[in-house]
Amino acid sequence: MSGADKGCNKTNPQPGWVYSDIVKEHFLSPRNFLMGDESQFAADAEGIVGNPICGDQMKIFIKVKDDKIIDIKWKTYGCASAIASTSALSELVKGKTLAEALEVGPEEITKYLGGLPKHKFHCSVLGHEALAAAINNYRERK
Amino acid sequence: MKDLIYLDHAATSPLLPCVKAEMQRIMELDLGNAAALHGAGQTAKEIVETARANVARLLNCNVSEIIFTSGGTEANNTVMEIFRGQKVLISSVEHPSVREAAKARACEVVEIIVDQKGRMELRDLEKKLDETIGLVSVMLANNELGTIEPVVEVVKCCKKHNIPVHCDATQAFGKIKIDVNELGVDYLTISAHKIGGPTGVGALFVRQGAEFNPLMCGGHQENKRRAGTSNVLAIAGFGTAAKWCWDNWSCRKWAEVAKLRDILRERILHEVPYSSCNSPEEICLPNILNMSFQAAEGESIQLYLDLKGIIVGTGSACAAGDIKPSHTLMATTGDAEVAHSSIRFSLGLDTTKEDIERVMAVLPGIVRRLQGISTVKVKEQI
Repeated sequence: MSGADKGCNKTNPQPGWVYSDIVKEHFLSPRNFLMGDESQFAADAEGIVGNPICGDQMKIFIKVKDDKIIDIKWKTYGCASAIASTSALSELVKGKTLAEALEVGPEEITKYLGGLPKHKFHCSVLGHEALAAAINNYRERK
Repeated sequence: MKDLIYLDHAATSPLLPCVKAEMQRIMELDLGNAAALHGAGQTAKEIVETARANVARLLNCNVSEIIFTSGGTEANNTVMEIFRGQKVLISSVEHPSVREAAKARACEVVEIIVDQKGRMELRDLEKKLDETIGLVSVMLANNELGTIEPVVEVVKCCKKHNIPVHCDATQAFGKIKIDVNELGVDYLTISAHKIGGPTGVGALFVRQGAEFNPLMCGGHQENKRRAGTSNVLAIAGFGTAAKWCWDNWSCRKWAEVAKLRDILRERILHEVPYSSCNSPEEICLPNILNMSFQAAEGESIQLYLDLKGIIVGTGSACAAGDIKPSHTLMATTGDAEVAHSSIRFSLGLDTTKEDIERVMAVLPGIVRRLQGISTVKVKEQI
C-alpha cells in the first residue's frame, strides 16, 4: 500500500480533537497543579521559564529530601499542550533523585503524552527547562 | 437542545439548507464544461450566469463586473497582481491574504495605523497618500474584531489623488449592506462560505474600466480574466446563498443577532473576572465579539469550551501554530498578552439566548481555573 493509500484509510481514534487522548486527559485533569496563592506550598526551590508575551510560561516548585523530589507542584500559563506537558512532567519526576529527574528530557515527556504536534514540541522543552531551573535553584540554595 | 454551540461563523458558516439542496440538485444534472457550445455546456453556463446575477445584485453592480475565483484569498491575490511592482498602502489590520499578497508583489507596502478598536486613522492615510501610491487596500470589516472601516472616507481621500481602492469585504459580506457604488471602491473581494455558501469559491468585483490583468492565465473563462474551468457546483451554491441573503433581507436578521452579541459582551464583562472587550461597541459587525481574559491563554480557553461543545476562535499564536499572536490585536493593543488571551465569539443567525446561557454557564469557571493555575498575575482593572 502506498503512503497516499495509507492516508486515505487513516482513522483518528478521536475525531475532532487535535491532541492525543493522554494530552486531553492531562489537560482536563492536570496532576499536581498549584491553584491560587503560591505561598501555600512550602517549596524548597522553584524555577520559572518562558514568557507570557511568547504565549507560554511554566513555574515548577519542588520539595526535596535526601536528594529526592518528594513533592512537586506547578503553575502554567499556556496552551493545552503546555498544561499537559507540565502535568506529565510532574508525574514523571516525582520520587526521582535530582540527577534522575534531570534525565527526563522533552522526548520522554512527549512520549509519555502519546506524542505532541510538531509545533507544540517546545512545550515539552519548556517543561524540562523549568524543572532544570528549579533543581539549579535548589542546588544554589543548599 | 443543540449538541454544538457554533460561535465561529467568522471562520466559516454552515451551508444554508437551500444551498445544500440546490447543490444536490445540480450534482444530478448532466453538465458539460461551461465554456463548451454544446447543450450540456450551455446548461452549466446558464447556472454560472444565474449565480453571477445573484451575486451582482447583492453588491449592486453589473454582472460583467463579477469575476468568480476560488475564494477571497485568490481575489485578494488577483488585485495585488495587478499592482505588482507598485507601492501599496494597506491598513495595519488587513487579513494575511492582503498583507502577504501585497508584500509578495508590491515594491513597497506601507501600513496605515489604526486606533485602539482597529479603525483606520484617516489622518495617517492622508499623510501617506501621494502620487507614488499605486493602490490603497482597506477591509470593509475586520475579521477578528468586527470593526467596520471608514471605506467611504478612504475612497474620498484616494479619489483626490486618483488612486484606486480595493476593499476586502469577505467578513462584512452578508452581514451589512454592501453597495459598491455607495462605497465607490474599484475592487472588492467576497467569499461564499461566509454567507452559508460552499468553501472554494469567491468573487472579485472589478469596476468597469478599472485596471486589470489576470492572475490565472491559460483560458478564456470569466471573460478572459480568470482562466480555469468554471467550478459550476460551487458557483451554483454561492449564487443560491447570495439569493437567500437578498430574499431574506439577511442584514436585517443580523441586526437582531447584534442584540444577543451585546448581551454576551455585558455578561462576560460582569461575570468573568479580569475580562476586557477588544471589539468596538459601535461601528462593528453585528455578530463578532472579541474578548481577552487576563492570565488565561486563548487556546486553552478555546479547547475547554470545545470539550463543552462550544466552538469559538482565538487570536492566540499557539492555536494558529504560529510564533506571533494576532497581528490585529498587536496593532490595536500592542500587548502580546492581550492577544494570546483573546477569544473571538462570532454568532450566527441561528444563535439563541439559550446558547448564550450555555456559554455563560461554563466560561467563568474555565477562565477562573486557568487564572488560578497561571504563572501570570492579574492586573487590577481601572
